[in-house]
Amino acid sequence: MRRTAPPPLATWILEHCTAGARDEALTGDLFEGYSSGLSEGWYWRQALSACAVSWSESLRARIPLFVFALIWSIMAPAWRVFTNRIESAPIFDRILPYFGPVWFLPAVTGWLLLNSIFLWTGIFIFILFSGNFSEIIRGKILRRPFFLVSLIFLPIYGAAWVWGCLYWNDLFANTKHATTLLGQIVDLQMLSNVIRMPYFIALAAALWSAASRPIRRPQLLLEDSPPVEYLAQFDSLQCALTQDPHNIKRFFGFTVVAGLVNAMLASILLGRLPELHSPTLSALFVRAILLIVIGVIAGVGGSWLYWKNPSSLFRERSPIPFPLFALVCASGWIWVPSMAVFSDQLSPATAIVAAIGAVFLAAGLRNATFSVFAPVVPDSASYESEEAELFSESLYRAPWEAVGYVITFLLYAGGCALAIRLNLTAAALFALCAFLFVWKRTFVPDHDLDRNHEYRRAALRLACVAIPAVLVTVWALLDGVAHRNHAAEMNAARAARNETASEHTHQKKNSQSSAYSLGGYESLILWPVPEKKQIVPPLTEISLLAPGTTQPLIIPFNGQYWYMQPPHKIPGPTAHQAHGAPLGDEIASINSIPLVMEAHQTLGAAIRIARCREVQVEIENRDNRIGVIVLAVLLTDAASPKNPTLYLGQQSIVSTEPEHFSYKSGSVFETLRFSIPASAKMRRFDEITVMMLPGIEHALVGPKIAIKQFQLFPR
Amino acid sequence: MTNRSYLGEFELMLLLAMIHLGEEAYGMPISRELERNRGRSVSIGSVYAALERLEAKGLIVSDLGDPTPQRGGKSKRYFRITKEGMRQVHETRQVLTRMWQALPELKLELR
Repeated sequence: MRRTAPPPLATWILEHCTAGARDEALTGDLFEGYSSGLSEGWYWRQALSACAVSWSESLRARIPLFVFALIWSIMAPAWRVFTNRIESAPIFDRILPYFGPVWFLPAVTGWLLLNSIFLWTGIFIFILFSGNFSEIIRGKILRRPFFLVSLIFLPIYGAAWVWGCLYWNDLFANTKHATTLLGQIVDLQMLSNVIRMPYFIALAAALWSAASRPIRRPQLLLEDSPPVEYLAQFDSLQCALTQDPHNIKRFFGFTVVAGLVNAMLASILLGRLPELHSPTLSALFVRAILLIVIGVIAGVGGSWLYWKNPSSLFRERSPIPFPLFALVCASGWIWVPSMAVFSDQLSPATAIVAAIGAVFLAAGLRNATFSVFAPVVPDSASYESEEAELFSESLYRAPWEAVGYVITFLLYAGGCALAIRLNLTAAALFALCAFLFVWKRTFVPDHDLDRNHEYRRAALRLACVAIPAVLVTVWALLDGVAHRNHAAEMNAARAARNETASEHTHQKKNSQSSAYSLGGYESLILWPVPEKKQIVPPLTEISLLAPGTTQPLIIPFNGQYWYMQPPHKIPGPTAHQAHGAPLGDEIASINSIPLVMEAHQTLGAAIRIARCREVQVEIENRDNRIGVIVLAVLLTDAASPKNPTLYLGQQSIVSTEPEHFSYKSGSVFETLRFSIPASAKMRRFDEITVMMLPGIEHALVGPKIAIKQFQLFPR
Repeated sequence: MTNRSYLGEFELMLLLAMIHLGEEAYGMPISRELERNRGRSVSIGSVYAALERLEAKGLIVSDLGDPTPQRGGKSKRYFRITKEGMRQVHETRQVLTRMWQALPELKLELR
């Protein structure tokens, strides 16, 4: 007995389990096939097959999305390090207490915002390189992923965090993170991959609907006539037809110059060299990228202000969309920061970089503004032979171009300026020369007015130019640091010579009027001088709580503070050593592994445990993070071969507890008491260790707590 | 500057089936035409997937017809070939013809 309707479950699967939006035509076709006498088995096969094919097609169409999400999420651990640094800034510790019991709301919002910035950047880059640019700019595609990604990221990150906590001891306890940003990116250990996973899933899910949207253009059917009105949809043509071309050209030039000046101002003001004597390469790369981003944003911002100005010709209708204009110009502005850094060093490379930037700017603008500025094609008429006698003169006369003479003049003038070390003048002349040359020599013969193609081309050009621009900027920074260090060494040597020749008076006189106003030095780096320590006489057995003594023995702390990460129990052989105090220095973990802080006080001689009944630890607290910090004290007999240790217990520091917390503008002093048992396995001790055991709020930043002194009370 | 891509075997068959069916080119007849010529069953899901690819390339266009009771109240999606689609079919035919003509001995072996 055969049913008249097809199997309802198969129909439900067909309508609900296929990937993407599908119209009813496929279901109707299967219904038609079933009605015409085909079997239920055929219907089931077709329904399941359609479902499988739709998913396979859907995934295949999103391969670029998955590849991009993978590449982008590889950088997630480095971004986490960056956000951790921001999160541990002291300003948040001051602000969050104002929110009272709901302090976690702004904390989570800020954290989500920081991570969303990373994801939004990824979304923007992906859509920029793969989507329909016109729709992107109008916000049709952009809005949905931007909202979605933050919503998706939070629960997935929460799930990954819970899973990571559950399996921490088994999988991640011994994981060591890289300490550099580049090391974080190439770190392929499991913990890093677990960090990357939420970013990957959030990106892929948010961009799912935007990734495979086909770009459908009006197509010519066999019976259609060519649609003349198709070309008229472009604003550029309409704009060119309705506005004065001369005004458009002039305003275009003005907008380009405005953006350029803005980019230069920002680069000159913010293009500082790193303060470190020998910065790492990754730090220079990060600084170079930042400088370039700032330069480009400043350029875009400057142009946008004039473009959208109420008196602007382009406010209502522009020959090309502003985003396309910005993309094109960015390939020129991207060179401005390196130019600024080079010019700061009076380097001739300023002119070369300026010329390179002008070349890219001219080539990009020439192509993008085809509809505004008429295409430059070789004028065939001027090459045609004239009526003249054969062999008596040349067959054609070369065209006369004034711009050729201008270019030549600029080239010579730039060379002269360079010779007399007027680098900025030379840069301007060479840039103008390069711009004119490229503008005249760039032909646009096959222009199809496809706006998406223009966007893609501009974006591709910008991407290709970005890498050499970053490298040149890094080179400029490296050169600048080397130049600065060399100058400092030379000045130091000169000062030393002057000192030995007893020319102090003369030097002081000169220094007041010379460019080097800091006593002959271009700049100074001051290292904080370690505080003068009280010299404690060696302790003797007699002074240490001799029989009959009732006064406590006071031992000011003058030992070391150790900062380690599990599983290390002592500092490694390559531990960095520096002068400083935990009260002032911010010591933070950059790899998400908690910090362990210990204070070690070595005594001059051993003290018998039987003579001590109590140890009081006086601390100075300037920590402004709410949360529990527990202090544990251990006594060690370092002189014995096995280093026996006596654990005296642990106590919470009251001034950091949430119920007693108040913002500390100065130091808070606190004394913690630890009883010493009368009978212990070890008889004496010569070292006191104080361990800080912070709660999760303090896990990644060293507590700003210093040990002031110990008081040992006699029994 | 257009991206030039050659038609795949299945895509070419689909276009030829559509040309043959003319105004009646929608999912079910297209798949039946393919089954009749190939001698084996075809998944309609694969047919639609390939048709969507061709539409994205601009080789065909489609529009929905009226719903009919014979199809459970569902509409038909009619497909029509574009000028570009027809040009590519002709071009593929010329290429294949030239290449087949260059292989006379293979023709003999097949007999």
